[in-house]
Amino acid sequence: MNSEALFINGKRKYIFCGDDQGLKLLSSVMEKVIEEGLIHERFLLSDRKMPLLEDFLRSQNMGTFLYLAIPFSELQRFRTAIEDIGYSDEEVQYIGYGEKIISLFCCRCHEINKTKHEQKRLFCQGCGLDLEVSDHYSDLHDAFLGYVAKL
Amino acid sequence: MKWTADLEHFPYPFKGSTYRYSNNSIPMITPISVEITPDYKNEMLLKRNLLTHHPDRCYQSLPHTKTAQWEIVELVIDHLAAHYPNEFTIEKQNSTWIFSNKLLDEKVEFVFGDLQSLPCEPLAFISHHVQEDLILMMQRDDDLYLDAGQLCFPANWSLAFNIGMKFKNIHHPIPGFKEEGLDDRILQFLLRLEAGNPWERKNWSLMAGDRLDTSLETFDQWGQLRKQVTKENAGKLVHIRVEVQKLFRLSQTNNILFTIHTHLLSLEQLTAIPEWLQQFYDILSKLPPHIVEYKGISLYKNAVLKYLEKQLERVKAT
Repeated sequence: MNSEALFINGKRKYIFCGDDQGLKLLSSVMEKVIEEGLIHERFLLSDRKMPLLEDFLRSQNMGTFLYLAIPFSELQRFRTAIEDIGYSDEEVQYIGYGEKIISLFCCRCHEINKTKHEQKRLFCQGCGLDLEVSDHYSDLHDAFLGYVAKL
Repeated sequence: MKWTADLEHFPYPFKGSTYRYSNNSIPMITPISVEITPDYKNEMLLKRNLLTHHPDRCYQSLPHTKTAQWEIVELVIDHLAAHYPNEFTIEKQNSTWIFSNKLLDEKVEFVFGDLQSLPCEPLAFISHHVQEDLILMMQRDDDLYLDAGQLCFPANWSLAFNIGMKFKNIHHPIPGFKEEGLDDRILQFLLRLEAGNPWERKNWSLMAGDRLDTSLETFDQWGQLRKQVTKENAGKLVHIRVEVQKLFRLSQTNNILFTIHTHLLSLEQLTAIPEWLQQFYDILSKLPPHIVEYKGISLYKNAVLKYLEKQLERVKAT
């Protein structure tokens, strides 16, 4: 999950999907695609209705490359749905904006805490333990591991 | 609980005078996934207590693992019955199996493959009869995933967090493991593991205290002892912790069973053997800082070294 889109060459078709703010973040890559005369399509997520997007993505052929740009807070929900449709990490770029909130798994009580990305320590909402944010990430929990901050 | 590990059964882990991370697996001479030691009854009592009171911490499984779990039950029961016939028996009448654990005076009848015939999942069931922690690594898409496990005696990691994780991601916290390319080398080795040719390795660490259940979930409790180590009490307080890890390819489901048998020995007992004392001192004094840190020794390494130096002086004087 990045903050900036990068042009990936050699794809059969490009899809630019996002809300108003997100599509602005994709504009430079979109210009490049238009400039090179490549096949592309734009999908505005005006009300972020997942079923419409899912139907649209399901109807695409192999070789399609997707750019998705929406707030960080929504990104994981969309990513899960897109992966369920069958898109792999190599076929999508996820671009986030706004405040980045991460989940932190408490090593003692397994509570999933929400915290700002920049925060390095917090007290667990479940058991009160002083937690240090690590970079060990679980896809299944969609959370980073919080270790005992101080013995 | 005080563990009185006997030297005869202690799996001394060291070779040479230095230690670095490596794939130190060797082919097993006697291919058996589990071992019964004199501590069996004590450890089973502790393990069952942990499984009852901390189920999420000690047992995790994903729904698609049931067939592989049954294969583990078959492998472990066959090993127990073949290698410890006086302690364990199995009667197989078609799908109906009667398993007897004479050490605990228990007999269980179940229908192999029928989940309803057991009081819990198959992996949990067989875990109640062996000292080892049992981990199922499922193989797909050229990778290994920790998709089920019973873990009562972890060396400071969390099964609940790691469930569903890929091999390399599990080992992400180990400093230098990725940078030195070890994660990929060991993964490739495991992916090539063959049925009928199991491997084993020993892994070691030091700990302040003598708990087997050093879970990440309870680190805030047992980790406190690290601050209490002195050169005077290190012999009794500090223990070397050795995991005998065994790797079996499951021939029917093509997954891997990873068993971990944990042993503890006090430094006092370890250093009673002069060769071990000198070798361990050499290794510990030359251990790189990132390994010292990861193995949790930083806080009391100097106290242990001073204790070992005193023991070396004692040996030289006699």
